[in-house]
Amino acid sequence: MKMEEVSMSSLDNSKLEGLAQDILSDLVEDACLGLCFEVHRAVKQGYFFLDDTDQESMRDFEIVDQPGLDVFGQVYNQWKNKECVCPNCSRSIAASRFAPHLEKCLGMGRNSSRIANRRIVTGNNTNNKSESDQEDNDDVNDNDWSYGAEKKAKKRKSDKVPFIFIVKFKSINITHTHISVCI
Amino acid sequence: MSKDSQMRAAINQKLIEMGERERLKEVLRAKLVECGWKDQLKAHCKDVIREKGLEHVTVEDLVTEVTPKGRALVPDSVKKELLQRIRAFLAQHATL
Repeated sequence: MKMEEVSMSSLDNSKLEGLAQDILSDLVEDACLGLCFEVHRAVKQGYFFLDDTDQESMRDFEIVDQPGLDVFGQVYNQWKNKECVCPNCSRSIAASRFAPHLEKCLGMGRNSSRIANRRIVTGNNTNNKSESDQEDNDDVNDNDWSYGAEKKAKKRKSDKVPFIFIVKFKSINITHTHISVCI
Repeated sequence: MSKDSQMRAAINQKLIEMGERERLKEVLRAKLVECGWKDQLKAHCKDVIREKGLEHVTVEDLVTEVTPKGRALVPDSVKKELLQRIRAFLAQHATL
């Protein structure tokens, strides 16, 4: 190796210090060159002056620091007591309850497949009248707009689940007996 | 004199071989971004480019304008830290 050829006796402290300075200035020059290339590319590609803005437009987006206002200068709890009108059933519902209400009102979302299943099952096994009954029932118990009814609604759901299972179970039995009769 | 330059070449070779040069470059770059050196130089570049015109600016122009300023603007603390690392490297590998 070359390093072994270099005798340490020639390396006194001042020379080492000079060497260190040279290496540092080399590195700094490298960094400068890198920046120059970066800037030059940005200029030629046309994105160097993109972040330039004039003082006027900067003033429009200044951060507001006043009591009662948020950083954009708006009253921060103006939406707290807003009510939204449901496009499906035209009731007005507290904004915080609107999403869960809409989910049920339109029959979409997490429980939709369960609700749809229930409707298919009841539609197949009984006549159309019971299906419409079910829907009416839904509307009557739809207490989404008030906070107090939440527990009641949950209870209603859990009451209905066993009913679905029974119906399904029955339908399986029917097919079994049917098959055995055929054989 | 030739012995001196030979030694320099050997040490530079060693710096590159060990990957220490890349590490030092990375550290330096991070420090310079952190202390705002890069932003200062970019602002200077903007002035240079406005002066020369967007179409006529070359890398050589930028290098000649920016490098002296770049050298001068490196903070002492960054210099000191880098020198410390370089000295440590020299002490470790020049004595082999």
